[in-house]
Amino acid sequence: MPRLRPLTVALFTLSIVSTFFVSFAGAQRSAIDTYAITNARIVTVSGPTIERGTLVIRNGLIVAVGANVNAPPDARIIDGNGLTVYPGLIDSYTNLALPEAAPSPSPGGGGGGGAFLLAQARPSPGGPNSTQPPGLQPEVMVEDVIRPGGTEIESSRSIGITTALTSPRSGIWMGQSALINLAGDTPQQMIVRSPVAMHVGFTPLRGVYPGSLMGVFATLRQMMLDAQRYRDALATYERSPRGMRRPEMDRSLAALVPVVDGRMPVVMLANSEREIARALDLAAEFKLKLIVAGGREADRLTDRLAKQNVPVLLSLNLPRRTTAAVPEADPEPLRVLRDRVEAQQTAGKLARAGVRFAFQSGSLTNISDLLANANRTIENGLSPTDAVRAFTIWPATIFGVENQIGSIETGKIANVVVTRGELFDRNRSVAHVFIDGRPVDLRPPTGGPGGRNLLSGTWNLAINLGQGEKSATLNLQQEGERVTGSISGTFGTGEISNASTTPGGEVRFTVPVEIEGQTREATFTGTLSGDQIRGTVTAVGMSPGTFTGSRARPN
Amino acid sequence: MMKKLLILFVIVFVGSVAQAQRVTPPETLIRNATVITVTRGTLENTDVLLRNGKIAAVGKNLNASTNARVIDGAGKYVMPGIIDAHSHSMLDTINEGTLAVTSMVRTEDVLNPSDVDLYRGLAGGVTTLNLLHGSANPIGGLNTVVKIKYGRPALEFLFPGAMPGIKFALGENVKRSATPNQPGVTRRYPSTRMGVEETIRDAFVRARDYKRAWDEYRAAAGKDKNLVQPRRDLQLEPLVEILEGKRYVHAHCYIASEILMLINLADEFGFKIKTFQHVLEGYKVAKEIAAHGAGASIFADSWSYKIEAYDAIPYNAAIMTRAGVVVSMNSDSDERARRLNIEAAKAMHWGDLTEEQAMRLITINPAIQLGIQERVGSIEVGKDADVAIWNGHPFSVYSRVDTTFVDGVVYFDRQQDLARRADLAKERATLEQAEPNKPPARGQSPETPRRRRPTHDDTIEEEQP
Repeated sequence: MPRLRPLTVALFTLSIVSTFFVSFAGAQRSAIDTYAITNARIVTVSGPTIERGTLVIRNGLIVAVGANVNAPPDARIIDGNGLTVYPGLIDSYTNLALPEAAPSPSPGGGGGGGAFLLAQARPSPGGPNSTQPPGLQPEVMVEDVIRPGGTEIESSRSIGITTALTSPRSGIWMGQSALINLAGDTPQQMIVRSPVAMHVGFTPLRGVYPGSLMGVFATLRQMMLDAQRYRDALATYERSPRGMRRPEMDRSLAALVPVVDGRMPVVMLANSEREIARALDLAAEFKLKLIVAGGREADRLTDRLAKQNVPVLLSLNLPRRTTAAVPEADPEPLRVLRDRVEAQQTAGKLARAGVRFAFQSGSLTNISDLLANANRTIENGLSPTDAVRAFTIWPATIFGVENQIGSIETGKIANVVVTRGELFDRNRSVAHVFIDGRPVDLRPPTGGPGGRNLLSGTWNLAINLGQGEKSATLNLQQEGERVTGSISGTFGTGEISNASTTPGGEVRFTVPVEIEGQTREATFTGTLSGDQIRGTVTAVGMSPGTFTGSRARPN
Repeated sequence: MMKKLLILFVIVFVGSVAQAQRVTPPETLIRNATVITVTRGTLENTDVLLRNGKIAAVGKNLNASTNARVIDGAGKYVMPGIIDAHSHSMLDTINEGTLAVTSMVRTEDVLNPSDVDLYRGLAGGVTTLNLLHGSANPIGGLNTVVKIKYGRPALEFLFPGAMPGIKFALGENVKRSATPNQPGVTRRYPSTRMGVEETIRDAFVRARDYKRAWDEYRAAAGKDKNLVQPRRDLQLEPLVEILEGKRYVHAHCYIASEILMLINLADEFGFKIKTFQHVLEGYKVAKEIAAHGAGASIFADSWSYKIEAYDAIPYNAAIMTRAGVVVSMNSDSDERARRLNIEAAKAMHWGDLTEEQAMRLITINPAIQLGIQERVGSIEVGKDADVAIWNGHPFSVYSRVDTTFVDGVVYFDRQQDLARRADLAKERATLEQAEPNKPPARGQSPETPRRRRPTHDDTIEEEQP
């Protein structure tokens, strides 16, 4: 061993000391992370509701809850008088924390922004050396691409969602999801469990096999058969490699082994009765641990769902008529009319039939509609108690994390939402949200019924995406918290989507724009000031730009 | 109301087919009708008794149980349920057109049991369909034979014991004659009829090797514990079944030369073509088709819709029938499926087939082509109670169906349909007032209605690049 020079020793010592110091500081910071919500009504979900009690949070966990619990002296006290405490809500299917959506996978079809898309946006890190084309890569893991922060996460938190299952956006074998808490400075801090499930969509690829729904099923079958053989061949080889040609390594098939072994659940996107029946058939054929996501008509197959013990991640993106009353659209088919009405009753019917389910937002344009839509399922037969369970302990159980989250019990992760008013009451407001034992900043609650319709009107926009100023006309309609509209001008014409707004005058929406002959999704984020608006535009594959606008015709 | 019934059905019947089959269908006695048995002549003033889903008796003055439904058949005609040997109804997608050989895809995976065309078929007296993959590829996907049990889960539609089949296709559709050359885009192989033959031969060579690999593995499996089983190949497995005579080939074709090509190719590999579909030039090679033992499933008088359809003649059915070919008339169309009775009648006009010969074209002959002739296709004691009651002779354009039975259960009844319309109008009025159905004050314009399926599959419109 070489002798150490004094300077080296000194530096070494210093580094140890500083390491200790940092750790100590960390511990100190945790130690003051103690909160007590006192005199609140506490809906524990796992046990009876405590009409007046105290909840103590320390170090990220729930350490005490009850009617006779006293707040520790070092706790920050939150007066819960008139407030109700619920377990943090779980959104059981989202694309939260993922990069912006890339165009649907079409191998070789990249074009201009291709490199950018590959580097920045395509949620397929399985790409390198995969044996499969994009869309058929079960080895993709959202864990590898999630990023903390962003307005979508803030919007979800502001209505009381603390945890979400986040899944890859597209594909047939879409990849593997993660359950994340909606707070944390790093992806690692956010993850509660990963991977949670394999995700399957039934959308064909474009221009290559499988290009039809039939081909999708054939491909799913073939790859599962291949995975079974891969598993068996590897096992044989491990037993006695000598004298046997080694099996070729295959990440895609390796990722499917836990699926065909029935260890990893498979979430299949299925809404209509026949889509769900097909998913059930495929799961039975390969003895998969199936979870149905979407589930709009799941109430028509309750017997099979119960018999095969398949839970449903039920979308609260309830169908409603969006087209105006015009001769071309009317009369609508009776089946369509029935389906919209019956979708509101699905949750209640599943609960009565004993089918396990959890609520999910289902890509709602406006996340603020989530609880209002849950309320519609209550008006259509679901008990309010079960509605709370479908946001808390039921998803926790489906995802196998019922010992960590989903109820207010000692030792569980301190994810809680504190409301003024009942959770599903129209006039409720969210007072506090704790995630991993820490309060999170809440965005000002969005518009809400009775909110002023600040945005409605026609706006003349000047948009600069680095190629000089281009003009466009933006029509916005705000009805409560719902914002709809369209844009037309140099960049083409399109309907806006994913619109959201705050009473503070922030507005955000996405619209397809045509630039250099390519249609791209552009996201506008702006601030309203009277009849003026200004902000930034980000378009996929382009440098960020700016826009300004003025109201042409207030209404 | 229907929905409630449907839910009830789902609750009662889903679980297993076996369970569903235990449910006893109602007993029905049709009295004093003209019974077109197809295989045993046409019987005047005759009764037909449907019991336990089967035809229990055919004769005069039959007795039924006290709780049987009795239908007065005076002036009416009872005929076997029509069998459509070439249909794409009920399929959510028809072509997997990305590859030339798609024997791994199955129509059974994409059934839509609530397709309204099924109900319209029942209203035309149709009870059985051969659901085929489209004609985009030399070797297409697997077929599904179904009984139209409209309103029941897809699983219950499957025809028990029907021979498994597969779609082949030759000629213009598979060589993509209708697809213009695009600069920079490689055309899918094959582009000629020579290439079509090569594609099919190549697939069967691979299938033969595949079968050999499995045979060798099975022979050696006990001796070598380190032996890894061959890869299961879903594309080649159905082709092995063809070689073993366990799967029927239904081959879309037009011109005489390609028909002979496929017969020769099948002989080379030792399998049979079960049916030639469309087969517009079949009359030119009727003897060769009969010698091979193949059937033919054709249109009555549809032609000239593309080059390879120019040489068609309406005497095709008559000529092939007289040459000893088992001929059927198919629809290949959701619309034509409703009036296959008239298509069959045309064969009496063109070529002077007898009434019975014409009747066979849409009943027992397609049953033979699908391997279900022991179950359906004629009115005989012991066969499935798949029958329709017509208010006049089925070959009259003025006749229509009153009631259609499948396995003894009524799936279409004109009077019930008419009676239900007032209830449906009432339901519509209520639903239109429901909150999710109210049109917003402002909103997007409605989608342009899209044709769900080409009216005539013979032009492959789906999934064309």
